[in-house]
This record gives sequence, structure tokens and C-alpha cells, in this order.
Amino acid sequence: MSRPRTLSGRYARTAYLFLTPAILFFAAFFYLPIGNVVATSFRTGPQADQWTGLGNYTQALADPAVRHSFLVTVAFSVLVVIGSIVLGLVLALALDQPLKGRVVFRVLLLVPYLTSVAIVGLLWRNILDPELGVLNRMLDALGLPGQQWLNTAPLLTIAAVTLWQNVGYTMVLFLAGLQGIPETYHEAAKIDGADGWTRFWRITLPLLAPTTLFVSVMAVISGLQAFGQAYIITNGGPGDATDLSVFHIFNVAFRTRDFGYSSAQSVLLLVVIVAFTLVQLRAGRRGEVTY
Amino acid sequence: MRKALLYTLLVIASLITVVPLLYMVSLSLQTEAETLAANAVLVPDSPQWGNYAELFARAPFGNFIVNSLVVAGAITLAHLLFDPLVGYVFAKFRFPLRNTLFVALLATLMVPFFVRMIPLYVLMANMGWLNTYQGLITPFLMDAFGIFLMRQFIQPIPDDLINAARIDGASELRIYRSVILPQTRPALAVLGLFTFVFQWNEFLWPLVATSTPEMRTIPVGLTLFNQEYFTLWHLTAAGSVILFVPTAILFIFTQRYFVRGIALTGLR
Repeated sequence: MSRPRTLSGRYARTAYLFLTPAILFFAAFFYLPIGNVVATSFRTGPQADQWTGLGNYTQALADPAVRHSFLVTVAFSVLVVIGSIVLGLVLALALDQPLKGRVVFRVLLLVPYLTSVAIVGLLWRNILDPELGVLNRMLDALGLPGQQWLNTAPLLTIAAVTLWQNVGYTMVLFLAGLQGIPETYHEAAKIDGADGWTRFWRITLPLLAPTTLFVSVMAVISGLQAFGQAYIITNGGPGDATDLSVFHIFNVAFRTRDFGYSSAQSVLLLVVIVAFTLVQLRAGRRGEVTY
Repeated sequence: MRKALLYTLLVIASLITVVPLLYMVSLSLQTEAETLAANAVLVPDSPQWGNYAELFARAPFGNFIVNSLVVAGAITLAHLLFDPLVGYVFAKFRFPLRNTLFVALLATLMVPFFVRMIPLYVLMANMGWLNTYQGLITPFLMDAFGIFLMRQFIQPIPDDLINAARIDGASELRIYRSVILPQTRPALAVLGLFTFVFQWNEFLWPLVATSTPEMRTIPVGLTLFNQEYFTLWHLTAAGSVILFVPTAILFIFTQRYFVRGIALTGLR
């Protein structure tokens, strides 16, 4: 066996030796599947083995059910993003104050983030159940009119449930952002006579822009791929009111068993997510604030 | 006055996050009649610990727990084994195609799981790995988040430390194990905790990749149990408590790591 003569050559060999498992893993479980999902998206039939070219794509773009589920998903993501930013920031601002018991509040607010979507979904379906749910039984016992939120405002309701789970996470991100703003900025502004409100709009918010961007990117990405909320809480209903895209793709793939058509829809949604991420990151880079 | 307002806000918000989970615990200890009572029961008359036994009698819940432990445990171990090794290579080695490979790795961050779901299902079906542990485990053995986290953590370790060990004649694997790895413990703790909790809670892939109740993990087994026994809410709640207790205990003892981990990397 010939040994590489240069030092860097020797280290390159070590590097590749150490990398081998990772290269094999990402090739087999990321790049091969991505190639396959694209290949399958050009095929049709129960075995997804007949070439159809762009057939699945033209069908998907014209399919009212696909369009509807995409719009539902976008609306859901928008609700989650706005809620995450507003609630996460408000709670972070409150926790950023010198209060006793901050750690306790932080823990309590973060707890739902650690639960499985299975717990969140089942628990809230029980609480909100129109007849058997604890909320309506309590309202009823108090002589108050019952609510039918899962029927009257299903999308808003599952967005609220998603926020219930995730708000602690965005709060922690904002808290880290707030703690990264140098105290001297506020001191200087105070000396200049700026009140709390002005300081919030002129100092805190602009300096938090990178955090806000990160929170919104993460919330959009996770919103666009939400699945459990529809699968567990609403089964996509009532009607198709909460037919989130990934739930729709899941049903086309594993209930209708149309792998070609569902693959094409996966690719389309992926393109949207990647495009969105890149646009947001680029916009963020332009608006970045430097100290 | 301002303090009172802040406390009010935080107390109300905390109640909203915690009370539903406490209700879940209460529900798991109610009789079936109490779960349906017109006057909603918030604290059961006498806690029905037998609900937990009944749950195990009606569904293979023992299997669910073992499956979840095996799958989440194996994936966590794989991350702890591979992520720092790969992170170390990208932090400290110069080699051909380094940047190309690193970009290819980071690009996988933009690929959500649902994109891999259908091809992975077909792949596993072809290999006969559906409804097996290897089918549940292998798609998650490593990820770019973990590798990136470890790379960021290893980068500041001085090169001199590595070079000194090389001059002393230590093998590359030994340098990694005795010089690099011991310094990464705090990052490994964060990585291990996050990986375990997320895999313990994972829903979509175990739903797709399992077909018999005996192979289900807790989140999937519990959800499908609820579809079958949708009126027995006290039992579903008992299952939810079982699913939640390990992560809750882990969190209570390590919440600082969780908070630091989120702040550090914005994992997920």
C-alpha cells in the first residue's frame, strides 16, 4: 500500500475515513430519497411505474383540492407566525424584567413544547369536544352557551393549539435576543430622555430583527409541514377546512395509494418551502443591523 | 403597579400552558362516569390508579414503551457517536471537496421530513424493513443540525492541542477520543437531550412505517388507541401521562441545558 507523502494528504485520508459513515448515511437516506421522490413524481399507476412526464404536476396545479389544501396551509402558517412573534415577544419582554421566579415561569411556559403532538392533539380534542369536552361541560354547568370552535373556526383553533405548544420556544429565542442587546444602548437613550415606549420601538425592536427573522423562518417552515394537528384533532375537517398539505399528501400516498401524484405534491411543497426560506434569509441579510 | 401587571400576565400565561396538562393527569385518574359527568370533574373523588392497568390490558402498551425506548435510545446513541465525529472533521481538517461536502450537508437542513416520507417508505418496503426497528431507526441516525452544533462547539478548541498530540504520536482516533471528545461534554448533553425528546415524540414516520400494534411507538400507539376507544378518555389520558412523564422528568433536571440549547442553535 502506498502511503500519501504529504501531511495534508495523510489528514485528508483520516478525514474521509471519519466521514465515511456520514457520507453513506446522507447519500442513502437523504439524497437517494430526494432523487427518488423526483423520479416517482414523473410516474403514474398503482405501482408508480408508468412514465407520465409532467402529468402529475399539471394535474396537481389544476386540482382544486390541492390548491385548497395549500391555501389552508398558508393561512395556518400565517396565523402561527403572527401568534408566535407577538406572544413570544410579549412574554419574553415580561420575563426580561428583574422579577422573582423568572426561572419558574420560563419552565412552566416551556413545558408544552416538550410534549408530543400526540399529547397536544388528543388533549385539546378532548377539551374542545362539542359535547363531551370539559370546556363545554363547564360552560353548560355555568349556564353559558356552549362553543363549537372546532366547527366554527377550525383553522384558527388548531393554529391556537399549535401556538399553545410552541410559544415557550419562541419566547426563549426572543429572550436570548433581548439579553444580547447591550445595556449601554438603553442607558444612553435614557440619558437622552427617551421613554420606555420609544426605546422599545427605536432600540429593542430593530436590534431584535435577526431573532424575529429566525423565529418567523422557523415558524413558517414548521407551519407549512404541520401534520399531526390535522391527523389527530380534526381529521382534516369539518369538510376539508383543515386539510393541511402534508396531511393531504399523506392521504394521497397512503390511503389512495397514489405514490406518483403524492410525490409530485411533495416536490411542489418542497419548492415552496425552499424558495420561501431563501427569500426570507436574503431579505434578512439586507436588513441586518450591525452594532 | 408595573410589576403587578407583569406578574398577572405571566401567571395567566403559565396557567394556560400548565392547567390543561394538569387536567390530563386528573382525567387519567377519573372513572368513566366522571369523564362524562355534566358537572365537569376537575379533581376525581378517589384516584383510579387502575386506569393505568386497564390501559395495558386493552392495548400492548408495554410494547409501545419498549419500542419508544429502543427507537429513541438507539437514535440518540447514534447521534452522540457520529455528530461530534463529523463535526470535528469539518471543524479541524482540510481536505479536497471539504466545502462542497459541507454545503451538501447543510442543504439537507432545508429538506423537511415529508419529502423523504414516500421514498423512504418504498425503500423500506423493498428491503423488508417496514414494521421493524431498523426501519424506524435508520432514517434518523444523524442530522445536519447535530453535526453543525458540534462543529461550532469544536472549532474554538486550539489546533495546538491537536498538533501536540500528533507530535506525541497519538493516533487520529485517539486524538479524537481523548483530546476532542472530553471537551464537548456540555454540547453532547444538549445534543443528547434534544435528540431523545424529539425522537420520543416523533409521530409521522412511526405512523407510516409500522403496521402492527406490537411495533408502534407510544405517540402512534396512543393515537390509534384513541381512534379505537374514542369514548374512553380516561384511558387515553393515562396513556398521554405515560408518554409525557419521561420528558417532563428529564426537563425538570436539565431545563438549563434545554434553554441554552434553544438559545444557542434554535434547534427545530
